[in-house]
Amino acid sequence: MVSLQILYPFSYLRQVMKLSKILMLTAAILPLFLFILPMWSISLQAPQYPIPLQINIFITHLEGEQEGDIQNFDLMNHYVGMRKLPTEMVEFDIFPFVIGAMSLMGIIFALVGNKKLYLTWFIIMALLGVAGIYDFYLWLYDYGHNLDPRAAIQLLDAYQPPVFGTKQILNFTVRSYPSLGAVFLGIGILLSPVAYYIEKKKERG
Amino acid sequence: MKLLSKTVLLSAAIGFLFILASCGQNGNSSKSGALSKSAAERVFVPPGEYDEFYAFISGGFSGQLTIYGLPSGRLFKIIPVFSLDAEKAYGFNEETKPMLETSYGFIPWDDAHHPDLSQTNGEIDGRWLFINANNTPRIARISLRTFETEEIIEIPNSAGNHSSSFVTENTEYVIAGTRFSIPIPQKDISIEEYKGNFKGTLSFLKVDPETGEMDIAFQILMPGFDYDLTHPGRGKSHGWMFFSTYNTEEANTLLEVNASQNDKDFIAAINWKKAEEFIKEGKYKTMPSKYAHNVYDETSHTATSTMKKGVKVLDASQLPGLVYFLPTPKSPHGCDVDPTGEYIVGSGKLAAALTVHSFTKMLKAIEDKKFDGEAYGIPILNFDAVNAGTVVQPGLGPLHTEFDGKGFAYTTFFISSEVVKWQLGTWKVIDRKPTYYSVGHLMIPGGNSRKPFGKYMVAMNKITKDRYLPTGPEVCQSAQLYDITGDKMELLLDFPTIGEPHYAAAIPASLIKDKSQKIYKLEDNKHPYATKSEKETKVVRNGKDVHIYMTMIRSHFAPDNIEGVKVGDRVYFHVTNLEQDYDVPHGIAMIGARTSELLIMPGQTETFVWEPRQVGVWPFYCTDFCSALHQEMQGYIRVSPRGSNTPLKWSLDGE
Amino acid sequence: MRIKIFVFFVITLLISACNSGDEGKVSNQSASNSFEQNTPKGQASYSDDVSAKNILQVAEGSKDHTTLVAAVQAAGIEHVLVNAGPLTVFAPTNAAFDALPEGTVETLLKPENKSKLAFILTNHAAPGSFNLKALKKEAKKGRKIYTAAGDYLEVKVDGDDVYVGGAKVLASIQTSNGVIDVVDKVILPKEK
Repeated sequence: MVSLQILYPFSYLRQVMKLSKILMLTAAILPLFLFILPMWSISLQAPQYPIPLQINIFITHLEGEQEGDIQNFDLMNHYVGMRKLPTEMVEFDIFPFVIGAMSLMGIIFALVGNKKLYLTWFIIMALLGVAGIYDFYLWLYDYGHNLDPRAAIQLLDAYQPPVFGTKQILNFTVRSYPSLGAVFLGIGILLSPVAYYIEKKKERG
Repeated sequence: MKLLSKTVLLSAAIGFLFILASCGQNGNSSKSGALSKSAAERVFVPPGEYDEFYAFISGGFSGQLTIYGLPSGRLFKIIPVFSLDAEKAYGFNEETKPMLETSYGFIPWDDAHHPDLSQTNGEIDGRWLFINANNTPRIARISLRTFETEEIIEIPNSAGNHSSSFVTENTEYVIAGTRFSIPIPQKDISIEEYKGNFKGTLSFLKVDPETGEMDIAFQILMPGFDYDLTHPGRGKSHGWMFFSTYNTEEANTLLEVNASQNDKDFIAAINWKKAEEFIKEGKYKTMPSKYAHNVYDETSHTATSTMKKGVKVLDASQLPGLVYFLPTPKSPHGCDVDPTGEYIVGSGKLAAALTVHSFTKMLKAIEDKKFDGEAYGIPILNFDAVNAGTVVQPGLGPLHTEFDGKGFAYTTFFISSEVVKWQLGTWKVIDRKPTYYSVGHLMIPGGNSRKPFGKYMVAMNKITKDRYLPTGPEVCQSAQLYDITGDKMELLLDFPTIGEPHYAAAIPASLIKDKSQKIYKLEDNKHPYATKSEKETKVVRNGKDVHIYMTMIRSHFAPDNIEGVKVGDRVYFHVTNLEQDYDVPHGIAMIGARTSELLIMPGQTETFVWEPRQVGVWPFYCTDFCSALHQEMQGYIRVSPRGSNTPLKWSLDGE
Repeated sequence: MRIKIFVFFVITLLISACNSGDEGKVSNQSASNSFEQNTPKGQASYSDDVSAKNILQVAEGSKDHTTLVAAVQAAGIEHVLVNAGPLTVFAPTNAAFDALPEGTVETLLKPENKSKLAFILTNHAAPGSFNLKALKKEAKKGRKIYTAAGDYLEVKVDGDDVYVGGAKVLASIQTSNGVIDVVDKVILPKEK
């Protein structure tokens, strides 16, 4: 029973607010986690790196899981002629602004409480999400294909990490998966249509 | 369908439990089977798994310290301490040359004997290891985080620094005693005037509790005996040090006969808390002795040597209450204190029995003034008043004793080549096992503390004869691992060692392995010639000195083409390893350089000097197989004739 | 159906995990400790053609010391006579043993008297190298010889003869690890 106590604030909220509104509010707030949690992670694992090298992609910057991971990523990559990982990117300027704006928009929509606005927010977020992933793909493609022709190791294939999933590149197992920030974002995006449907059902019922 | 899935789930749950149970049983049976497991299984550490203990075994006359794993007996590293090591450039590169400076000048070698670990509250704490140099008296401190020698301090007024380097219960002091008595201060007198004119000193080195840095707090001037070994009191006897002595005959020639005459020599009990009081009261003389103090700085990767002057000396024969003598038969060698601090075991190396003194009885005897005369003003306590017991006929030639913390003692016997287990209090022999051959010291992990880890015992042998494949007249010495968990000792393994495995100290791996340094952070590098990026690389001429600020990273040097060097120049290679990745060292060696390679850890800077003698273009290369393109890691230096005007220039890939 | 497959998979996994834990535990109990019995005499079992002979090897090669060698073996103290030393052994001849009261040697050679025999024999060994010349020097300085059994043996010079613990030294033989002083009497320890 103890575990239910954590729901008390929620039940209090329920008394002053409709469920759909709470859901939409939550949906709008969740993307803000991207400011503190990484969006995506790419890791390289090989026999000589039993603890994988891991790059965490934030909306504002890149960060190694361990100190030195970024430098060691670059060191590995330079043998195939890949450029160094960027410290500055246009995305690092745009993403925080877009996320902040979308979150604010979501909160306003939730407070207004119009179900159509919920759906609108969902569609915009979904489109932005797809655009973001496409941008990520383009970036990876560029890095994987624009290789220095004088590189020590000449690959037959492109050296491109997957956008999503696991891939064997030379002796490395490369894993690319969404991180906790993206998970929160995803849940947020999915909560908005739920809010829409609850509201819609209620109106009918 | 629902019913079916429920049944399946239920049976799955039962099956799961069953499997868990059977798994558990397997676990149990293998545990109870541990007793009957073969020696091979008990020392086998599967590939990729870790040993349970780090064992630090001194290299004896190699001057170095070796690290082995127990129970596997695998060698991990040789830490250079008192001798040059071309592999690690120790004593060859500009950074570590000051480590081997002494008041006698640069000394490339010594004889390293007794490693001992730092303690807190009488338990080993995994911070530092101390080890002595016998020949040119010095004590070194080794960090158990970087596993490098961090400090070496010379001991003045000492010769044959053998009864060293043992650590008190809270690492208040590291103790160092003279084996050979000498004229103090040194003077030109006849050797025949030994008696009364030669003296020994016992040195107390204060250890800084934060940095570990050592400083000679005071020395105690003693009669001209040989001070052989020492151990600190612990628990109730904390505040006392016990030194074995021989040659109380004060012979100066053919000691094998002339120093074996007295029926009893002494164990000297030093009250160092009392000594601290005497120092406070100003009852010391300051002697103008000179000694070197060498400290390696971890952030500048550079050692400095400072010549210090003056040491406080307390004269034992003038200060009542500072020292007492406990009569102990026949030239005692080992002087070992049990984990409770009550028993002091004296191993008279010629005696037919082991003598054990009681600390409680000693205090009572001092209180009751039960003295049998004095030597140079130092009271000799009555033997029966201090003796706790005797182990009768344990073996021949007893040397050293260690303890398992369960009430048992283990003593080595050189002549009868065996280890004997006996019980404290009853003095009964429990078990004896041969060693192969002629054992000296033995070691139980944590054996010099209040809390030994009584699982393994390592015997260190001087002679191996037919034990290994022969390698010419010089064959290895060895260590032997025994399981001491049962009533009877069991020999599990023997393994060859480096130099003479004189003595050792061991510590559970869990206490230090996670603190082991992986890389040096480049941003913390304070070496005056560090180069932290390829952009900062340069070559600077200063008269005949040429300084190359070089970097190394997979898989190139920067710069790797250098011109403008001339015959007769002194070329300093200051090389920084830019890697920040664990286990990616790089090496560098230059053709014709009269020094060793450098082996540089990630984030570290090291320097070697090259004096080109011939005109031409000369290569240098990476000596450590660092990466896939290691063989490509090379460079050239053009050497022009003396007085030519080839401009100084340097580049990497034309940039 | 899916559940079934899942459950089967889990069980298989667990069993294989269990098994892998057992792998490598080769039972090889007979190997345990057999290496200790390989060299029961330790260093004493080692010999080669070129090294100078040690005390034990010299004694073994002497037809006048067969009783002593047999006694040393019965007492199990061969290793004492082969270690690095230096050691002096006062080696009674066969005749010296024969001179003991009848039955003494036979009794001492019995397994139950092993420690007593060892004690008597170690009373004939002393740390250090004492050849005839050194013994004379000790006698002159009025010093005694301290034996491995803990006794003191008096050294006396009578004309050209040297006596140790009452036994006359017949000859002094230098060996690789010390000295054998051949004596005409068994030196029994003083009763304590």
